[in-house]
Amino acid sequence: MAKKIPQKNIRNFCIVAHIDHGKSTLADRMLEVTGTVQKREMKAQLLDDMELERSRGITIKARSVAMRYKLKGQEYELNLIDTPGHVDFHYEVSRALICCEGALLLADAFQGVEAQTVANGYAAMEHDLKIVPVINKVDLVNARVDQVKEELEQTLAVDPDEVMPVSAKTGVGVEDLLQSIVANIPPPEGDPEATLQAMVFDSLYDAYRGAIIYVRIMNGTVKKGQKIKLLRKGTTHEVVELGQFAPKREAREELCAGQVGYLICNIKSLDDVHIGDTVSVIGNDAAEPLEGYQEPKRMVYCGLYPSDGQDFEELRDALTKLAINDPSFEFEPETSDALGFGFRCGFLGLLHMEIVQQRLEQEADVDLVQTAPNVTYEIVDQNGNVNEIHKPQDVPDSGKISEFRQPIVRVNMVQPEEYIGSVMKLCGERRGIHVRTEYLSPTRMMLTYDIPLAEVIYDLHDKLKSATRGYGTMDYELRGYEQADLVRMDILVNGKKVDALAIICNRADADRRGRSVVKKLKNEIDRHMFEVAVQAAIGTRVIARETVKAMRKNVTAKCYGGDISRKRKLWQKQKEGKKRMKSIGRVDIPQKAFMAVLDTGDDKGK
Amino acid sequence: MNNSALTFTPPRSVYVHVPFCKHRCGYCDFTVVENRLDLETSFLQAIETELSWLETPRPVDTVFIGGGTPTEMSPAGLTKLFELLGDWFPREQGGSASESSEFSVEANPDGLTAEKVAILHDHGVNRLSLGAQSFNNEKLQSLDRQHSAKDVANALQLARETFPQVSLDLIFAAPGESLASWREDLEAAIQSGVDHVSTYGLTFEKGTSFWSQMNHGTMVVVDESLQRDMYLLTIDLLTTAGFEHYEISNFARPGSAGNNRCRHNEVYWTGGSWFAIGPGASRFVDGTRSTNHRSTTAYLNRVLKGESPVAESEPLDAEMIARERLVFGLRRIEGINIAEFNEHAGFDLESLAGPAIQEFCELGLLEPSDGNLRLTRKGLLVSDSLWPDLL
Ligand SMILES: Nc1nc2c(ncn2[C@@H]2O[C@H](COP(=O)(O)OP(=O)(O)O)[C@@H](O)[C@H]2O)c(=O)[nH]1
Ligand code: SF4
Ligand SMILES: [Mg+2]
Repeated sequence: MAKKIPQKNIRNFCIVAHIDHGKSTLADRMLEVTGTVQKREMKAQLLDDMELERSRGITIKARSVAMRYKLKGQEYELNLIDTPGHVDFHYEVSRALICCEGALLLADAFQGVEAQTVANGYAAMEHDLKIVPVINKVDLVNARVDQVKEELEQTLAVDPDEVMPVSAKTGVGVEDLLQSIVANIPPPEGDPEATLQAMVFDSLYDAYRGAIIYVRIMNGTVKKGQKIKLLRKGTTHEVVELGQFAPKREAREELCAGQVGYLICNIKSLDDVHIGDTVSVIGNDAAEPLEGYQEPKRMVYCGLYPSDGQDFEELRDALTKLAINDPSFEFEPETSDALGFGFRCGFLGLLHMEIVQQRLEQEADVDLVQTAPNVTYEIVDQNGNVNEIHKPQDVPDSGKISEFRQPIVRVNMVQPEEYIGSVMKLCGERRGIHVRTEYLSPTRMMLTYDIPLAEVIYDLHDKLKSATRGYGTMDYELRGYEQADLVRMDILVNGKKVDALAIICNRADADRRGRSVVKKLKNEIDRHMFEVAVQAAIGTRVIARETVKAMRKNVTAKCYGGDISRKRKLWQKQKEGKKRMKSIGRVDIPQKAFMAVLDTGDDKGK
Repeated sequence: MNNSALTFTPPRSVYVHVPFCKHRCGYCDFTVVENRLDLETSFLQAIETELSWLETPRPVDTVFIGGGTPTEMSPAGLTKLFELLGDWFPREQGGSASESSEFSVEANPDGLTAEKVAILHDHGVNRLSLGAQSFNNEKLQSLDRQHSAKDVANALQLARETFPQVSLDLIFAAPGESLASWREDLEAAIQSGVDHVSTYGLTFEKGTSFWSQMNHGTMVVVDESLQRDMYLLTIDLLTTAGFEHYEISNFARPGSAGNNRCRHNEVYWTGGSWFAIGPGASRFVDGTRSTNHRSTTAYLNRVLKGESPVAESEPLDAEMIARERLVFGLRRIEGINIAEFNEHAGFDLESLAGPAIQEFCELGLLEPSDGNLRLTRKGLLVSDSLWPDLL
């Protein structure tokens, strides 16, 4: 077993970057160069071990790995914490930052500084981390190292002389980078002899071992067999195993101040484990609780319903399991007249929502109906009370609203200069307020706008990509809530209000949205034996209407001996399809239709 | 209740499939070999072999030889086929189709020679089903048929002189067809003096050339409301002319010798069982539906090697048999007799499909009538959309 490393030889760091700039690849290379993983065991992006991460090529959950590195006769322990790069997962980034003393700020030698390079770079600076700037992919023929240096200087005041050029692909510069980490990032502080004080920064549920708690030891030492206390709830547990990730779990005898590792304490329920909690000793001499993380803010909500009502309990189990490994996701039961029993689920953003949904489909065998996502609104009632609104159905009648507020985000968009016009137009259409325009380099610009989150989440990213031929990138952070002229738009099917189809939108957009939504629904709903009216209404005023004409005739096909089994199978299949639909009155509404309300009505092409 | 508890009466009907056609029509997805009469000898050999697996002759009340175009076969081939069938499926001979046994053969207007008609007649065929499709040359062309209106007239004359029952197949909603042109076809059918008419809306089946033409937008598909008018016109004209509308797409004019319905097809629709012989042929024997391989060459290869030609086989449980009986029974205009259904299907109609039936009655698509349950005129038009809820 590896020998003990003195605290002064420990370096804790993370890599922050825009998505695809090569964080995971660089991590792989460092694992290889330090001999943590033998070359033959390497598979690309080793830390991205969630199935979904591999399939999407993005890192979702923060990972940590301990590497041993020898330099000038000294042995060092380098703890690398991998972080996600997507805007939805900001809070995972900040969890990782708390455990580190330094950060590698990585920028792609061709792409240069992007929106999330800036956002994540700022976050690292706010946490007082030592920044080691790195330009990756210098092997690319079109690498523009000098310009990217300039961009880093412009946006984040990075000293160009400190920038380390590397190629995570070929390994060029990686050895120098490791040396620079040792030389520039300070070792952790904290007294190994003091009372145990450790930060819980992640947790994972293992079917055999129970909760696996990821910790950064701030002070003191934790040993195998020791009794510990989780301060938040005051529960005590025995440490049955502890260790580090290298990158697989490796048991150790103890973890000391400054180290990062895991604890296994026979905790059968993750209810007892809170991210941001403090681990200390039992009894009255426990250390002070550390300042925990802020609860991640759920920005997007949607309803998830089992398409077969029977599967409600199965869905609950599946959601519970997911929430265990993803504290940023929350859910609570809700009922809908249209969809029956289901759950209102809160997500960090749209990608997060998509990921949770995919996981549910992959890991639990439940067929889902999803309602269109919405952001969290605030409504101030006549008495001045502020209520959070997570679903359109909860919006009271307009007489009871004194103020309707929506979340506004500050969006940074980075793109080549020539696309500025089309991006500004896009932001204008989305009710954006221009904040500033900055040159990152002579040819690249950053635009900053304040835009209602509701206008951002559905498709602003896609729209930005198409307005900039894929070159534009964006990042946003919540600014706060602002009053707006918002209304709840109801959808009625044959005169019946369908709660799960209601949306909140700007009054000025209501007519356009209403028309496009009913049109979309008309196309989604199959013809019935009777006419089906689809209406959009605000209060009692109908603003749009479409009719699905009654079926009047189907083909008169012959049906003889040879046709019987074929026809019967066809009709049985149709029956299965109908069973998966939701009935409102006698109208069968396909699952897809519940997303139809997302149609903003502004793209003619679709 | 499961299959083993059901007792099945042995079939009293047989379907024989003859795959030969001179040309494959653009809309056709049946088991057909185009212009391959060279296979006739092996076909007859295979039929003989498949028949021998019945072990003993099976007396039947109805025989239906379909295709393809059975009358495409050579006179010698036809004779041989009839001899084989006569040996293995003995029928009560003589009299009209309604009284004793019914022996139907499908024929196309072109190539129906006096010689072949005589062979059919000599072997006891008493019902000829003529694939006329239309009396209009332009429409016949648009349907990619090879015969002309003149061929239809000649064939009809020959058939009517020879067989006690003649049926006409007519297709409506051909590409670009108008209501007026369909009316002419219907009137010609009534004029022709046949006592049975089957009418179908043209369907576009996957894999046919019509299917791809439709998808490429190069074929004018008749729209729903015109199809509806055509179908309603069919019902009105034929019933006014004395035909009985007895199944969604079938009409029979009662005569002195009986109601002139196709007894063989009624076996299918009333949940009866039947044997089947030949490529692509489906049977229902002892509660199991099975289908021979749909490729003629695969069928021939298998049978001639002594292997079973069955490609798919599906035993039905009692409930599915009851549900099929309900659905296919409802395709008949008189519908199903509720008391009889409850007694013979092994299931109570109410427990099988009570709520769906109730809803369809409320919507005016089904109606009770004299102890029967049947489609209304409105229901007839959309019947295919009812069946999923009843299965
Ligand atoms: N040419 C080149 N490609 C690289 C380099 N580093 C990473 N990549 C590629 O860039 C893409 C994104 O890398 P990844 O490590 O997943 O980025 P992450 O999203 O920041 O984790 C992958 O296709 C890598 O193979 C490099 O140094 N040179
Ligand atoms: S004649 Fe009949 S069976 Fe033969 S190809 Fe034409 S439609 Fe098909
Ligand atoms: Mg990655």
